[in-house]
Amino acid sequence: MKCKILVIGAGPGGYVAAIRAGQLGLDTIIVEGDRAGGTCLIRGCIPSKALIHAADKFEQMSAHSEKGHLGIKLAAKPELDFAETIAWKDGIVDRLNGGVEALLKKAKVKQIKGWAKFKDAKTCDVETSDGIVTITAEHVILANGSKATELPFLPFGGDILSSAEALSLTEVPEKLVVVGAGYIGLELGIAYRKLGSDVTFIEADEKILSTYDKELTAPVQQWLKKHDVAVHLGARASGWQDNALSYTDKDGKEQTIAADKLLVTVGRQPNIDGWGLENMAVDMANGFIKIDKYCHTSMKNVWAIGDVTGEPMLAHRASAQGELVAEIIAGKKREFNPQAIAAVCFTDPEIIAVGKSADEVKADGIETIVGKFPLMANGRALTMEAADGFVRITARADNHVILGIHAVGPHVSELSGEFALALEMGARLEDIAGTIHVHPTVTEAFAEAALAALGHAIHI
Amino acid sequence: MSDNFDVVIIGGGPGGYVAAIRAAQLGLTVACVEMRGTLGGTCLNVGCIPSKALLHASELFDEANHGMGQFGITTGKVTIDITKLMTSKEETVKSLTDGVAYLLKKNKVDYIEGRGTIAAQGSVKVALSDGGERMLSARNIVIATGSEVASLPGIKIDEKQILSSTGALSLKKVPKHLVVIGGGVIGLELGSVWQRLGAEVTVVEFMDRITPEMDGEVSKTFARILKKQGFTFKLKSKVTGVKKTKTSLSVAVEPAAAGGDAEQIKCDAVLVAVGRKPYTQGLGLKEAGVKMTDRGQVEIDDHFQTNVKGIYAIGDVVRGAMLAHKAEDEGAAVAEIIAGFAGHVNYDAIPGVIYTMPEVASVGKTEEALKAAGTAYNAGKFPFTANSRAKANRQTDGFVKILSCAVSDKILGAHIIGADAGNMIAELTLAVEKGLTAEDIAYTCHAHPTETEAVREAAMATDDRAIHM
Repeated sequence: MKCKILVIGAGPGGYVAAIRAGQLGLDTIIVEGDRAGGTCLIRGCIPSKALIHAADKFEQMSAHSEKGHLGIKLAAKPELDFAETIAWKDGIVDRLNGGVEALLKKAKVKQIKGWAKFKDAKTCDVETSDGIVTITAEHVILANGSKATELPFLPFGGDILSSAEALSLTEVPEKLVVVGAGYIGLELGIAYRKLGSDVTFIEADEKILSTYDKELTAPVQQWLKKHDVAVHLGARASGWQDNALSYTDKDGKEQTIAADKLLVTVGRQPNIDGWGLENMAVDMANGFIKIDKYCHTSMKNVWAIGDVTGEPMLAHRASAQGELVAEIIAGKKREFNPQAIAAVCFTDPEIIAVGKSADEVKADGIETIVGKFPLMANGRALTMEAADGFVRITARADNHVILGIHAVGPHVSELSGEFALALEMGARLEDIAGTIHVHPTVTEAFAEAALAALGHAIHI
Repeated sequence: MSDNFDVVIIGGGPGGYVAAIRAAQLGLTVACVEMRGTLGGTCLNVGCIPSKALLHASELFDEANHGMGQFGITTGKVTIDITKLMTSKEETVKSLTDGVAYLLKKNKVDYIEGRGTIAAQGSVKVALSDGGERMLSARNIVIATGSEVASLPGIKIDEKQILSSTGALSLKKVPKHLVVIGGGVIGLELGSVWQRLGAEVTVVEFMDRITPEMDGEVSKTFARILKKQGFTFKLKSKVTGVKKTKTSLSVAVEPAAAGGDAEQIKCDAVLVAVGRKPYTQGLGLKEAGVKMTDRGQVEIDDHFQTNVKGIYAIGDVVRGAMLAHKAEDEGAAVAEIIAGFAGHVNYDAIPGVIYTMPEVASVGKTEEALKAAGTAYNAGKFPFTANSRAKANRQTDGFVKILSCAVSDKILGAHIIGADAGNMIAELTLAVEKGLTAEDIAYTCHAHPTETEAVREAAMATDDRAIHM
């Protein structure tokens, strides 16, 4: 089989590249051994957000039944049929998976189900249910994605879960221990806490969400404390026996903690083994496939996008790269040079980080001014009982060009579009302050943060 | 206590208090005169904020009642205690109005409780709420007295059975059948509150569609969604009278066009939501020689100044949309102008939001307006059914629609129906304000999975290149 473009992996990087290539009239084949949608749609972002949403609702209903909050009263405690929750989540995944397949078909992309194995840079064998198919392509786009990092002394299986298995449990574990308090661990751990689990975190670092500054993570830390979630920092897990995790605590003492399930979320690593990458003669960089600003590898007409090319391992980065590569192959002039890629943690409260913080640019000798606006002073947040958090803007002191926007608070993830656009357009504080933001919305906090940086916020 | 001020502002609503704070920040001596007893104006006391508090709670109630089964959550019988609901609403309002009082104090604005009247150019007489009078001399006067509820001839609002928005925010029990006169923002928001809490709601609208000033496609989809929620609409209809009996009301409805049969709708509460009118009475405007428009607004020039030097006006009392954020922006601008700077409001980039479920938000031009102006445009639309975050949140009603110039690609208008439309319109407002193109949005990486991805997809759809549909 021959084609112009061969895409390996139908995750958010690969399937977007293939659809865009199809739209541009290029003859495209996509190969995927699992269901189309990748980690994100099948066992990552989407199912986790569904579970988080359901958990959120369950917690809300419990608050009504206990306190008759806002005058809303439940006659009895709400009950959870977790099998039904999971079935609902599976239904969403099925629909989105079907949606992606339909979109590929509409874009006239040929889909081949099976795992590809490369013989050389442009040729691979795919083992399909109808036998081996050999594909030769003019251009190859590698979008193999990543997998959960496994600790050798805590191998996945049985009661030791990766994030994927944690999204498909049959019942809510009574006692859940999570190794790794990064965003994946926290998102799932918090959801299970809301669903009724007793949750404990074991984190080797000195703080949770180690890539974010303390000010941003403090509201999440408070949530954990308020909900009796124990967080052991500076603690190193060492083994699992008889449903108990052993670890060394921050004082060097050996401890054990019993759990029904152990969730290990210590990071993700690129899928680079077992599919013939070594036969393609592409250069690597720090364990990832090395690419230039066009997402081109060291081998002519071999491109790589998404998690297999490094951090940040985010679906929207992969999608943006996928679109870009398809357009470059179609002859358009593009390069991958985003001013900012928003990162969102769907914890409680949510965290967004776009661009850089004052600490991060200090090393470059850039002088900054920072404006912060608390959601406690935002009317809409108060009416939605979602006032726990703030919006923070960091800008250059000399010309007020915005360098970074950070926010923490309930539902703040939906503010990320404007934040990203502001950075991408090179906005200055005055641009944001001078744009009318609707009253009453949470977005007013963004304009106020800009005003605060300029020294004249109105509502604080 | 001095009675001499650089600026005296009459009215402590979002326009007035923001003008006061901004003027004080710029080093002027400021007094803010307010007769309500609390600051914050209509918006904080009997408008945006209490309605949003009720919308939030009624939405939760509705969810608890109907929305949980699919998640595997069973709730049993759900009841609502209206008294408790109202108390929590009042707590939210109080914390915000107290907050404004604190802000004025912090900025050293003299908050004077009483009714302000312009005595002459440069002087304001205040009938103090505590009794007595105070004469203020003011180098500049800003009128920010806002607006009041408009009614229909022959229909007298009693706030018990025949309600304005104010009364509809403080009902003591859920009406069985609420008739809303006027299918605009206020009627639909408050109609939603009581519909969710159990009332049957009938909306009578004079025009052939609800929210007639909005983009046609949006208003059509919006009506369909509300109907599905249980709203009944009587379009192209007018109310000619409301008859009161001891226990119920009878609303006389006739076709808007002359002729046709009248009908009587029985109900137990009527909400008059036909609009608002500028509040100018007792201000001494006539005596001061301030010119008014034929619509009863205070006439101003492009710098918010009336025909009388040193007397300015902002907010609902002048031309333009009656929106808190428009008033706030005018408040900041007038303060800057008075202080000698170049205050400015861009009326082409004022967004609006309706806080129903889903929310409806818009900025810039509608498709109808572009057609009427003969502007060549591209329309890009993306439905929330194709957005994964909306699916995971089970909020797939609605779409994002972007209208861009066919020649320059500049974004001319944007319209969203969606659960979080109110927050999402901010990005598109920034785009309209800054003259950005649909391509600018399309080339901005939007976080996954968020509903904002639908904004990007709609921008791409203007060029027929959306990925997810």
